[in-house]
Amino acid sequence: MSLLPSLLPWAVAAWLLGVGLYGIVTSRNFVHLIGCLSVVQSSTYVLLLSVGFRTGGIAPIFYTHPPGTPAVDPMVHALVLTDVVVGATVTALLLALILQLHKRRGTVDPEALRPMQP
Amino acid sequence: MDEAGGGFATVIGGLFAATLVFAWGYFDEVHAHFHVLMLVFMAGMIGFCLTHDVFNTFVWFEVMSVAAFALTGYELKADPLQGALNFTVVNSVGSYLLLDGIGLLYAVGGALDMGALGAAVARAPADPVVAAAFVLMAYGLLIKSAQVPFHFWLPDAHAVAPSPVSVMFSGAMVALGIFGLARISFTVFAASTAVMQVIRTLLLGLGVASALVGAAMALLQRHLKRLLAFSTVAHTGVLLIGLELLSPGGASGMLLYMAGHGLVKGALFMVAGILLSVCGGIDEIALRGQGARAWPAGVAMAAGGLLLAGLPAGLMDGGFGRIADAAAAGGQRWLWLPLVAGAAGTGAAVLRAAGRIFLGWGPVPCGEDRSLTDQEQEKNDRPLWLMLLPALALLAGSCVETAGAGRLATSAAAAFMPPGAAAGPAFPQPGAPVIVLAWLSVVLALLLAAWQLSRQRLPGPLNRSAQRVLGPPGAGLDFLHSGAVGDYIAWVVVGLALFTAAFGLG
Repeated sequence: MSLLPSLLPWAVAAWLLGVGLYGIVTSRNFVHLIGCLSVVQSSTYVLLLSVGFRTGGIAPIFYTHPPGTPAVDPMVHALVLTDVVVGATVTALLLALILQLHKRRGTVDPEALRPMQP
Repeated sequence: MDEAGGGFATVIGGLFAATLVFAWGYFDEVHAHFHVLMLVFMAGMIGFCLTHDVFNTFVWFEVMSVAAFALTGYELKADPLQGALNFTVVNSVGSYLLLDGIGLLYAVGGALDMGALGAAVARAPADPVVAAAFVLMAYGLLIKSAQVPFHFWLPDAHAVAPSPVSVMFSGAMVALGIFGLARISFTVFAASTAVMQVIRTLLLGLGVASALVGAAMALLQRHLKRLLAFSTVAHTGVLLIGLELLSPGGASGMLLYMAGHGLVKGALFMVAGILLSVCGGIDEIALRGQGARAWPAGVAMAAGGLLLAGLPAGLMDGGFGRIADAAAAGGQRWLWLPLVAGAAGTGAAVLRAAGRIFLGWGPVPCGEDRSLTDQEQEKNDRPLWLMLLPALALLAGSCVETAGAGRLATSAAAAFMPPGAAAGPAFPQPGAPVIVLAWLSVVLALLLAAWQLSRQRLPGPLNRSAQRVLGPPGAGLDFLHSGAVGDYIAWVVVGLALFTAAFGLG
């Protein structure tokens, strides 16, 4: 029983990675594909947050708590924050690219958008 | 800062200086954001070289990648945009896997500094989480360094990016994947025998496959930038073989080869840019005999082709010799075969293209006429010497007196490797067989190029039987390079299964 809560976030991360990759492989619409890429990225959020989680820990703000109170690891929060910024950048860039490409090719199907192929 | 990181950062800086001279007047309207993106790209790559912190590795990796994605699609035409999309999706998946691996490593070691993580791995070398962390981190870096079967994005992106950007892609960015992999393998995972075993078996296999597939695909191309892109795949395979030997000799050879390859490949992409600008095309068959106006570029291209093939001069040859020596010292003399095949095949492809474009040889194509091409063109109002000068500077840089560079690579590799790993033979001087190997590779490249350029003189039955033997494998390789991003990600999943199987069996 005690094993389940500790394994659950890892299983969720693996699941998100798997479904995201499956979505990218099978997608027929680039906007949908970019959504799947975000799902793959969500797996990194879940994984990082679960690495830093401490059962019973408080948020790492010690204003009202004495130093030494068990707290979750703030390091991973910094990592996730950076990761969120990266994800926003990549998603925005991809959406801009696909918008430009749609203007030129009139389609957003990855199967029809192969570089250098007529 | 260590000598390996500092040394490669210097090479990157030199490449950028030459590239920005080459890009002078490249765009009709230079919006400032081209230069801003190039500088951000450079900052990302240099930061990646210098950092000793796994999370900063990820951050610099992303800075470099996002700038590279934007630069690929900079011209906002259909082909570059498609190439940029494939590049972005595949590399982003790689970087998220890298970050997953960093998270697992943090769970094991509770630190992000590579030295501290190395100590943590040494305390729990058989931990399966360590193995999983290595797989995920190696994955991101293997995708970046375009190893078979994760290389599909590379020809799509390098062939369509503006020429100055392609110079940096092939010259530095791809090699950085191998550099990062070497850094984490030597610094963080050196104590884990399971990981080292996987490096010796699975990564060796990937390196050999990259060298062979890259060389074969390069020979099958007619689009010059795509040809050079596949030759980069072959040479990163050679780099991975140098890494896999896990000896100081192999590592110093890898560092030398990385620097030499960056300079030579950069110069060759500049020659491709000159052809786009002066001759208004990049297709080898359409340009047959058209290059005479720019004959000095042809000399540079032939020199570059010979250096790729392993001409015993300069940094590339120094690295090649050390890797071959280290392979022999490690009892893996059979590795000479993929090393020679990779060098000779890519050299032959470049020499064939040079012979056809600048001398008008080779009226009968042999298979490369079926490959992809496009009608790219770049504006033609820049003086030839302005574009040629940086290319010649890079070629000269790759041929510097190698004794000093060799000493630097030796001490850099010693600092790069973990203490105690230097159990192998120290630094053998390139022996006689290795010099023979280099000349053998050059002669093979010349023969291969001569054969491809003189098919009209060979008897018909010989040509037809060669076509029957070589045609189907070539068509199969072409079929695999489908251009659809879903297929590429399917290969990533296949690779994930391969890694899991390697750890399960090993």
